[in-house]
Amino acid sequence: MSERRLQETIAVLAILGAGIAGYLTVAHVTHTPVACVRSGGCETVQHSAYSELWGIPVAAIGLAGYLLIAVSSRRRTDPARVAGAAAALAGLVFAAYLVYVQVGVIHAVCQWCMASDVVVALLVVATFLRISRSAAPR
Amino acid sequence: MSRRRLALVAVAAGALAGGALAAALAFSTGGSSKPASAPVGAARVAAMLEGIPQQGTELGSRRAPVTLVEFADPQCPYCGDWARVALPVIVRDYVRPGKVRIVFSGMHFVGPESETALRAALAAAAQNRFWNVLELLYENQGTENSGWVSDTLLRSIGDAVPGLGAKTVIDGQRSAAVERLLAASDALAQQAGVQSTPTFALGRTGSKLAFVNVPSLDASGIEPAIDAALKQ
Repeated sequence: MSERRLQETIAVLAILGAGIAGYLTVAHVTHTPVACVRSGGCETVQHSAYSELWGIPVAAIGLAGYLLIAVSSRRRTDPARVAGAAAALAGLVFAAYLVYVQVGVIHAVCQWCMASDVVVALLVVATFLRISRSAAPR
Repeated sequence: MSRRRLALVAVAAGALAGGALAAALAFSTGGSSKPASAPVGAARVAAMLEGIPQQGTELGSRRAPVTLVEFADPQCPYCGDWARVALPVIVRDYVRPGKVRIVFSGMHFVGPESETALRAALAAAAQNRFWNVLELLYENQGTENSGWVSDTLLRSIGDAVPGLGAKTVIDGQRSAAVERLLAASDALAQQAGVQSTPTFALGRTGSKLAFVNVPSLDASGIEPAIDAALKQ
């Protein structure tokens, strides 16, 4: 896959992730119930002590990460490629911890968070592929 | 810089940033440190409620054929006796097998600490941990309005309930959701004309409930009424 195609894929995935994170952020800030297939799971996660870091909704941190990846996907420079891949990997590491929290501590699973985890995992693959497929410096 | 070196820089930066975020969240929720002192009965309450569905102030399956409404005050000593002696048996024999659902309707007439305790428990309702907090309050119940419903106790209870945390129990007491739940339980008690605690109303789920005369505060005081409702 060419770098151009990878850039487009990363942008689409990042916008999708931003949509999920944005929805969860708005729901958290406005105390709106989250649409969840299995009742209670998303609400339990959204209201847990783990839903905020220093007063900032965890979903908003995800939103910022996705926006950073989306912006970095538009620029064809090494710092942009590295920033996108680093942000995606940071998101995956953080997401892995949040999965552990949901399953092992809160005992409730939020499907929106899991969907976001899938998106961020795909972004890790795409952003690192982008680095490997980018033109070598002259 | 080579592609390989770029990828290594991204791996290092990403792993560091993600790990730092996870560590910060674990630290901010107290996940990396134990509370100063665990409340009395934490393990017993956790074991009693483990695996039983909670929805707000409801305990047990919504498909249970019988519903038991408990009107109680967190400071009322008789309510504490019932919670510590009768409830574990009722939960084991009726709630866990899916026969009975218990709905708690909180009252706060004993004094100002009743409302504080009730608000703390209701703050956990959004996370479906209401019963964990309520039962730990009863386990640690002190003399009425003696200062036993302290921030220290509430923090230790919040920390002792998996996935809850002291912050929710302390900061959530004045939330809009808690105000709504408190107003709803006040209205229900007033509408039902409840004069003392604990008072119980029982019946088939979805039908009109009737008050139950409970002659003793152990499980045998209410089991005959539950069994009769189950046979209806």
